[in-house]
Amino acid sequence: MGQASLSSIQALIIAIWVALVESRALGYSTLNLRFSPLMTGLVVGIVMGDVSTAMTITASIQLIYMGMIAPGGAMPSEPAVATAIAVPVAILAGLQPTEAIAVAVPVGLLGSYLYQFRFFLNTFIVRLTDKYAAELNDKGLTFSIIILPTIVSFALFVPAMYIGLYYGAPVIADFTASLSGGRIFHILDAVGGGLAALGIALILQVIGKTKYLVFFLLAYFTAVMLKPLGINTVTFAIVGAIIAYLYILVISESAESN
Amino acid sequence: MGNENNAKTSIDLTKAPEKITNKDLHRSWLRWWYANEIPHTYDRMIAPSFLWGITPILRKLYKDKDDLQEAYLRHTQFYNTQAVWGGGTILGITASLEEARARALAEGKEEEAVSADVINSTKVGLMGPLAGIGDAIDSGTVQYILIAIALPWAQGGSALGALFPWVAFVILTYMYGFYFTKLGYRLGRSAASEIIGGKNIRKIIDGLSVLGLFMMGILAASYVKVSSSLQWSISGKEFVLQDILDSVLPGLLPLATVLGVYFYFSKKGLKITQALVGLSLILGVLAAIGIL
Repeated sequence: MGQASLSSIQALIIAIWVALVESRALGYSTLNLRFSPLMTGLVVGIVMGDVSTAMTITASIQLIYMGMIAPGGAMPSEPAVATAIAVPVAILAGLQPTEAIAVAVPVGLLGSYLYQFRFFLNTFIVRLTDKYAAELNDKGLTFSIIILPTIVSFALFVPAMYIGLYYGAPVIADFTASLSGGRIFHILDAVGGGLAALGIALILQVIGKTKYLVFFLLAYFTAVMLKPLGINTVTFAIVGAIIAYLYILVISESAESN
Repeated sequence: MGNENNAKTSIDLTKAPEKITNKDLHRSWLRWWYANEIPHTYDRMIAPSFLWGITPILRKLYKDKDDLQEAYLRHTQFYNTQAVWGGGTILGITASLEEARARALAEGKEEEAVSADVINSTKVGLMGPLAGIGDAIDSGTVQYILIAIALPWAQGGSALGALFPWVAFVILTYMYGFYFTKLGYRLGRSAASEIIGGKNIRKIIDGLSVLGLFMMGILAASYVKVSSSLQWSISGKEFVLQDILDSVLPGLLPLATVLGVYFYFSKKGLKITQALVGLSLILGVLAAIGIL
């Protein structure tokens, strides 16, 4: 795609998608949309007319955000915001997927400030909720609990993302493209490839129980050994499920015989 | 609370609570599921979503305006939990407690009624422990098992790589979240101990943890890319460090990187931003001086 920048319609559609996700206006399904960059990457791909490249880049971004969960609601980064900027930049500048990570990480950190600002704005709206609750005004509650917070989040995210995409993305793309191929890109490549370790280590922590680490090691070395066979992940997931089942069977039987 | 001079002596049929049906529970679950984090604030967290979810049930239960208002206001107070394991279960439990309270109030047995304090302390007491399980299972395990399966599709450029994890996650969590809502309503407060201490749910959680760790091993082997570009020659013989490492143990560097970060988290807690910056610096410096 010989595109040098995003058209204003393209920037607007991506901005609205991000606002839908970050305002949480698609219900609990936004948990996955917000934590995982994949769907945002797909939307960017559709808007820019290059789903295949967008998905490949997004897959690399997904790896560094693997362990993202938000106990209590706040996260150190917003993967959806990061992806919405980094994927267009990478497509415009013709970056390698691992190089796109260098754009995604700082943008994701900025995104988390926007998200937390949303909490602050909602704090004013909750006074209205108190008033409507005391009046038993159900229509008012729908307005103050659903409609108004959504409008406020849109007012926050749509302009911010639009400006970032329409004015920011071409500038970042030009800058990164001018660095392309040099020593810096070897470094970015090494950092991007290694940062996937961070997300995976984080999930290992979240799932917990150090004694289960043996199953991680089992799978790791199995996959390293079988790499030449090109076995797909669905097959591995089935093998993993069988191993999990056997494990549960064994511990529950040993618990009964005790 | 104990407003005794208000006690009614006869049963007023127009004030009797309506029956809560499966459909009511589903409607409240859907409303809670939808509102979830839309009105998130620092001071009340997602209390308004809980109120918006349970509103239709409160309407059916409390036919007295003062009782209804008291119930509405009770659910504007601080509340925060995970949507499915905490949210579904507590929604069901609260519905059953509110129903018991509404029935006692309608029969004029104010002293015997489930008190407002009990309802509040049940919600607040359960929201933390159940959220802990829910975050680890839904966000941390189920979601990433689905992503791990779909990631190669995404990497191959397929839209399915994005659609599969999202759609499957939404369908799964919606279904068992509603199951928890019904369980909470049916068992009342004992539903919580069923989920936290119950044998069968324990087994499912353990099984999911094993599968989750297994899938992370598969992912780490394919997608963590740490390799050395260092090479040197001694008296005309070429040495390539990566080849030597591969002959010792294939996949050593990626594994060492993952475990290094893992033990950093074990020691220092989940300091993600520090780990992100620290790991980037280490990798960047090693790449700059030609080791990686």
